[in-house]
Amino acid sequence: MTAAPTPAAIEPAARRSRPYRLASWSWTLPVLLFLGFFFVIPLGANILRSLQTGQTATNGPLFYYIKLLTDAYYAGIIVETLKVATITTLLCLIVGYPVAYFMVRFAGRWNAVIVFLLIAPLLTSIIMRTFGWRVLLARRGALTTLLVDWGVIPRPINIADEPFAVYLGLVHVLAPFMILSISAVLQKVDVRLEESARVLGASALGTFFRITLPLSLDGIATGCILVFVVTNGSFLTMLLLGGGKITTLSLLIYQQFNVAQDVGFAAAMGNLLLFVGLVSLALQARFMRRGGVKS
Amino acid sequence: MTSAVPLHLHGISKSFGAVQALHPMTQTIEGSEMLALLGPSGCGKTTTLRIIAGFETPDHGSVVIGSCDVTELPPNKRDLGMVFQNYSLFPHMTVGENVAFGLKMQGITAAERTQRAREMLALVRLTQHEDRRIHQLSGGQQQRIALARALVTNPSTLLLDEPLGALDKNLRESMQFELRAIQQRLGITSILVTHDQEEALTMSNRVAVMCDGQVIQVGRPADIYERPRNRFVAEFLGTANIVAGTVTAQTAERRWDVALTGEAGGSVPVQSDATLTTGDTILLAVRPERLELGPVRAGGLRARVQDVVFRGSYFAYELRVHGQDRPFFHYSQTRKDIPADGMVGLRWQPDNAIVLEDRP
Repeated sequence: MTAAPTPAAIEPAARRSRPYRLASWSWTLPVLLFLGFFFVIPLGANILRSLQTGQTATNGPLFYYIKLLTDAYYAGIIVETLKVATITTLLCLIVGYPVAYFMVRFAGRWNAVIVFLLIAPLLTSIIMRTFGWRVLLARRGALTTLLVDWGVIPRPINIADEPFAVYLGLVHVLAPFMILSISAVLQKVDVRLEESARVLGASALGTFFRITLPLSLDGIATGCILVFVVTNGSFLTMLLLGGGKITTLSLLIYQQFNVAQDVGFAAAMGNLLLFVGLVSLALQARFMRRGGVKS
Repeated sequence: MTSAVPLHLHGISKSFGAVQALHPMTQTIEGSEMLALLGPSGCGKTTTLRIIAGFETPDHGSVVIGSCDVTELPPNKRDLGMVFQNYSLFPHMTVGENVAFGLKMQGITAAERTQRAREMLALVRLTQHEDRRIHQLSGGQQQRIALARALVTNPSTLLLDEPLGALDKNLRESMQFELRAIQQRLGITSILVTHDQEEALTMSNRVAVMCDGQVIQVGRPADIYERPRNRFVAEFLGTANIVAGTVTAQTAERRWDVALTGEAGGSVPVQSDATLTTGDTILLAVRPERLELGPVRAGGLRARVQDVVFRGSYFAYELRVHGQDRPFFHYSQTRKDIPADGMVGLRWQPDNAIVLEDRP
């Protein structure tokens, strides 16, 4: 064995060529493999499926996409999907912002309790939560029974199979995401900024619209995109509470796949939904870059 | 600038739960005067400022600006300017928009806003930064922008909440003079909240020393420093050598001999306006720079030099006095010759011994 070079001789060069890192890229290999096999490949297969199976053999590879976008019935469903997602997003914003503001500005040490209450329902299955609303809203449900007992309505009605129930269920499930997104950003807005505006002559409402709201736009954008994308993808709430009165793209995919067994068409719809989600994310990223506030 | 108006606090008090944050406080801040509220954290100075600003409602009492009772008015109707410790500049606006914000709230036209904002930026010497973003400014620049923003509306009163607390030492000292110069030029009635005694002494016309929600002493900076009422004030403003003693005899009008506790036979002359009688036990305070070192004399106060520290503009001597638990300090601009055994005699002029109100 020859004498090892002295540390002083090798160290400078070693440091230059290989800076100290806690992790290296190779560590991400397992997750890349996992995502490759179970996410990217199926996605690719899905795109091929939408172009090659079923009626594409006779009508051309883009048949399902053309049908989706030009057929009045399916175009209507796309519009309805976006409408439901938009309304749900706005409802979550209206319900969520005051809660987030209260949490950050007034809750103090109760903040942790509120966060727990917001997250706790997420631990139960979405089916359980949605069925819970059925129990409350159905014809012989708790709410209608109570309303009849109080004499508000003459006889039991079924509220469970209405668009109202769908929105209720969606807001219930998704409002926590909006609240947590907004409160995370509001937390960073110093209350003294609001006080400064007040001393400088702004009313309470003026302070909100000129200071608090602009500074929390990042949180609003994040929350809105989150709720919008998740609403686009959810079908259980529409299935269990809509009573067939609200049909969205994701519900249609479920039906195409399970009932009609038109796999190609379902795949095309899935890809369209994916496209909408990606556009939303791109919009959010663009917004954060431009309007993002450094404090 | 309109003529300066005084600010009156009539017995304002505030409790948070069981904690009395502010005991009833009555104080008048004269027009164009700067009053410093000085005290450790939790002394009620910030609560006082927040009551004046309108962020807190006092449990009792009233706040009167000029002749207008503003106690029930919201902050935006009080005609105030305020500078916060962390400046609280709006991060989503440019420097110019920040300064003009108050004018915008008053409904002043864009052209006039720009012009007046520029005048204010000139006042704080940051004219060329009008279009910058806040995060592009240094701490000192942010501080000056915050001042410009607070002054642009010609408020009747300026509130300063630890305005220089976030700056480093050199910048803080130069800003003290700059802020004071601007305040005096505009002649705006001002209240400065600070825990930094140097800041209070440098910037204000009068200092109100607060502790536990009460004002302990109010006076001109030099008066408070030279004649602190009690131990708290003496020790919070600068350093004080405090020693207990017993009045043994009156030697002349306003002059007494005091035998120091723990020092056998040691007796020092004291001159004071306080009414003392023979046999009273009292606390004396002597400022370190008023203490004189000399040769040991029989019957005089003696001390052993423990340590000498060079503090830049002066030398600090740590002295161990026989029979005293706590060390004495002596500040001197020149280095003294200390005998080999380290023993020195301590003296002071009779009127440099301050008789404190507390009793040992």
